[in-house]
Amino acid sequence: MENSAAHTHGKAVISIRNLCKSFGDQVVLDNFNMEIYDGENLVLMGKSGSGKSVMIKCMVGLMEPDSGEVEILGKNMLELHHQEKDELRAEIGFLFQGSALYDSMTVQENLEFPLRRHKKKFKGGNTNEMVEEALESVGLAHTKSLMPAELSGGMQRRIALARALILKPKIILYDEPTTGLDPITAKEIILLMMDIQKKYKTSSLIITHDVDCARVISNRMILLLEGTNYAQGTFQELSTSKDPKIKAFFK
Amino acid sequence: MRNRNAQNIKLGIFVIAGITIFVLAVYFIGNRQNLFGDSIRIHSVFKNVSGLQTGNNVRFAGVNVGTVRDILILNDTSIVVEMLINEKTRRHIKKDTRATISSDGLVGSMVVNLVPGEEEGSSMINPGDTIESISKIATADMLTTLNTTNENAALLTADLLKITTAINDGEGTLGALIKDEGMATDIKKSIAGLRRTSEAAAVSVNRLNKILSSVNLEESLAGLILNDTSAAGEVSQIIADLGQSAEEMKLMTANLQEFSEEIKTGEGILNHIINDTTVVNHLDATLQNAEEASKKFDENMKALQHNILFRGYFRKLERRKAREGKNENNR
Amino acid sequence: MNHNYTATANVSSFFMEIGALSRFAGRFFKELFSWPFEFREFLKQCYQMGNKSLLLVGVTGFILGLVFTLQSRPTLLEFGAVSWMPSMISISIVREIGPVIIALICAGRIGSSIGAELGSMRVTEQIDAMEVSGTNPFKFLVVTRILAATLMLPVLILIGDLIALFGSALVEYVKGNVSFLLYFNEVFEAIKFSDLMPATIKSFFFGFAIGVVGCFKGYNSSKGTEGVGKASNSAVVFTSLLLFIIDFIAVFVSDIIYG
Ligand SMILES: Nc1ncnc2c1ncn2[C@@H]1O[C@H](COP(=O)(O)OP(=O)(O)OP(=O)(O)O)[C@@H](O)[C@H]1O
Ligand SMILES: [Mg+2]
Repeated sequence: MENSAAHTHGKAVISIRNLCKSFGDQVVLDNFNMEIYDGENLVLMGKSGSGKSVMIKCMVGLMEPDSGEVEILGKNMLELHHQEKDELRAEIGFLFQGSALYDSMTVQENLEFPLRRHKKKFKGGNTNEMVEEALESVGLAHTKSLMPAELSGGMQRRIALARALILKPKIILYDEPTTGLDPITAKEIILLMMDIQKKYKTSSLIITHDVDCARVISNRMILLLEGTNYAQGTFQELSTSKDPKIKAFFK
Repeated sequence: MRNRNAQNIKLGIFVIAGITIFVLAVYFIGNRQNLFGDSIRIHSVFKNVSGLQTGNNVRFAGVNVGTVRDILILNDTSIVVEMLINEKTRRHIKKDTRATISSDGLVGSMVVNLVPGEEEGSSMINPGDTIESISKIATADMLTTLNTTNENAALLTADLLKITTAINDGEGTLGALIKDEGMATDIKKSIAGLRRTSEAAAVSVNRLNKILSSVNLEESLAGLILNDTSAAGEVSQIIADLGQSAEEMKLMTANLQEFSEEIKTGEGILNHIINDTTVVNHLDATLQNAEEASKKFDENMKALQHNILFRGYFRKLERRKAREGKNENNR
Repeated sequence: MNHNYTATANVSSFFMEIGALSRFAGRFFKELFSWPFEFREFLKQCYQMGNKSLLLVGVTGFILGLVFTLQSRPTLLEFGAVSWMPSMISISIVREIGPVIIALICAGRIGSSIGAELGSMRVTEQIDAMEVSGTNPFKFLVVTRILAATLMLPVLILIGDLIALFGSALVEYVKGNVSFLLYFNEVFEAIKFSDLMPATIKSFFFGFAIGVVGCFKGYNSSKGTEGVGKASNSAVVFTSLLLFIIDFIAVFVSDIIYG
């Protein structure tokens, strides 16, 4: 397995070392290690409840890991002050598993929300234009003044994606972008993600159970099993693996 | 954007409404308590404020004219009460106004009453003036004076008591006089008899008079009346009565004559009274005391009636007396 | 044995709750005085809590004044003391009944909606999303809401009191032929600063309690839709209890001060 890690593309934008997290007696992450390289699409797969969302939240500082290191763009995330943490977070887009749109705000306000705190990054940029651009990139320009509750689940996911993109981040973290969507909508979302990746040259971490999605989008894959980085490699390498535990993912 | 502006306007109206209510409430409450209106400050020093509190009303002739602003204890006998008086009512309040503290009836809170002075042409009160007060203490002074009068009266009573005891015990000549039963009953009898006699005589004469006048008026009927048996019986009865009365009267006069004769000749016990000097002196002193006490009492009453708030009167009087007494002692 | 265990667990969890709530309130003050302040959200919350509660508070206050006067009337009539009605009603409304009833109504309306809103934001990861967007969700959601509740409640209570007095005056106007002007004249004759001030200060604390408990329950809501319901429900229950405790303390303190 060590060999499969050999084809590295450029430098690592995110590196996670020996991350441990447990809730009470339940150990969720146990010495988890991972690296995301510049410009790649990394797919993280794992069973439901294996700790993928916990890992990603530890990464951006929404959860406090018990031990371990998280380095993002050369900065140690866990030791940063509020100000620096916020600045670093402006470089990371985060698509939540459940969209997490602010349901008391219109679509427009939802998209403006990340902009408010990062005006410095876009000196004098017109917020309205940026909102429209982001909405157009997900094909939902007409929904600007609607409330999230007035949108379908797939539309909400796309708006959430637009919100994750609006700051033009260097890294985007997708937590299950296609789960709970019909195959056609799922495909649309996947295509959208690939478009964005091409357009903005971002590095992405995509968490998914969806094998099709993984095949289409991944440059590299990691399997999270029993709290550790059980296996990594290209889709080709892993899907042909003889290990029964790995095989189980591709059935 | 427009929506948000509309919201902000509504919020602004809402908040301003709330603040306006608060400010108006403060204003109306404050106005009543004279916290904001034009007002002047005056003071009065009391010995005792009887539970007066800041915020209590100040009344002038029963009208609320201000509030108690502050109460300061100057020392153990003077408590300064600062009052805020409505500027409008100021011109009615003269410098010789005096302040008293009393309770406000039903509610039981205390009020300061401003009592108009009596001097004519006294000038208007000025801000910062201190007006005279009438404390509960002044009434207490009056009570002390009354008390001395009382003591005098008590002395008098004691004297009288002494005499009475002496009389009862049969001591002294006066006692003997009363104890002489024979004499006493004699006197009693005489007086009672005299009264009875004269009463009876009066009735009889009255009746007679009536009959005689009717006879005179109706001469033609006189014979008839005189022949009438009942009338005749009546007349004879009257005449008999008269006779009895006259008899009794004669007896009584004789008795009295005898009594007076005795006094004249210096016999009998009554005479001793006049000569018993101790009793006389005693009586004299008692009478004097009584007189003095009643005189003093009279003075008090006069003063009280004249003006119940006029405490200086007794003080002055007493002081003068004390001074005179001292002068006499010094001499 | 088992029973005993749950009892001690309940007691200790109660104290844990109080401790956590105090820390939460402490964090509010810490974050309140540090930059930045989410002014726009604060205004929005003021509008939500103030203007949107006005109808409810107004109707409640009006009925309160109406009913209170109607109920007291026969008794006062019996004692021949109907002329005391304005002072009696106004003092009890301004001092006690107005603030407490309106605060309870607001605990039901504002407290539960804060609890439910923040609870569902927590459950659907909106709070996490905010944090990732570089906004301090505590400042944005909690500080603004607590502050808005603290400032809006006194306004609501003042307006509610006034409406309640209008309700009372209406009864007196209809039943006792007392003009509104006379009624309010009597009212202002009766009310003192020592009635109005403690009540107003108290209502700030009522607002603060409603805001803090609602935010605390919602912000720390457990996952799942059940957690949202629990957050909103326990916010109301706990706030109502707290309101009475605060009221007791306020009466106690103002009794010492104004004696
Ligand atoms: N806040 C929390 N408190 C306690 N336990 C938690 C918490 N968050 C997650 N867990 C537990 O951690 C484990 C991993 O949860 P996580 O959400 O990371 O799963 P996941 O891999 O994302 O699953 P899925 O694919 O269904 O999203 C679960 O068993 C969950 O019970
Ligand atoms: Mg997950």
